[in-house]
Amino acid sequence: MRLGIVRGHVTLSPAVPELMGKTLVVLEPVTMTNLVAKNGLGGGKSLVAVDALGAAKGQMVAFTEGREAANPFWPNSIPVDAYCTLIVDSITTGNAKFEEAEVSK
Amino acid sequence: MFLARIDGTVVPAAKHNTLEGCRFLVAQRLEADGSRGAEPLVIIDWVGAANGATVLVSTDGDIARERYGNTTPARMVVAGIVDAVQVPRAGNGRSA
Repeated sequence: MRLGIVRGHVTLSPAVPELMGKTLVVLEPVTMTNLVAKNGLGGGKSLVAVDALGAAKGQMVAFTEGREAANPFWPNSIPVDAYCTLIVDSITTGNAKFEEAEVSK
Repeated sequence: MFLARIDGTVVPAAKHNTLEGCRFLVAQRLEADGSRGAEPLVIIDWVGAANGATVLVSTDGDIARERYGNTTPARMVVAGIVDAVQVPRAGNGRSA
């Protein structure tokens, strides 16, 4: 999983039936430099992921990529390749502790 | 599979319901030239890797699916803690 900051939401109209009712978020992946600097920046290339946890704009999430991102919808097939697996409360790295509140600048 | 260095831990505020009680670590991918991956990775660990350890990460979700069920989005898991890595440097060992 990579880390990403929720930058916004996407709504589709129309959409394939499999995606009806799914929440889509725009994520900006976070680089190690920005995570340690705690500057609220991401730095990676944006992507869209399915979110079932209710992540709010500005929150940091960890997202699964690839085939496993569709597993939560098993046994249905769904055209999903990124899925928000957890919402970050805090991250402790060797030299810094990141708190959720600090990213929401 | 790839090698990664454990940098810290993640405390989730919310997580997928199949992953109750999981341990989430932050790791950075290690490259053969000694550099590190730019983006931190969140990896599930049930081996017990310590901070600073070098681990082997598997990106095959099947082992996680066996453990957490068919609906788990878990993918990257710590497959083992690295004891030693031998990467011959240029000029060392037998060269072609």
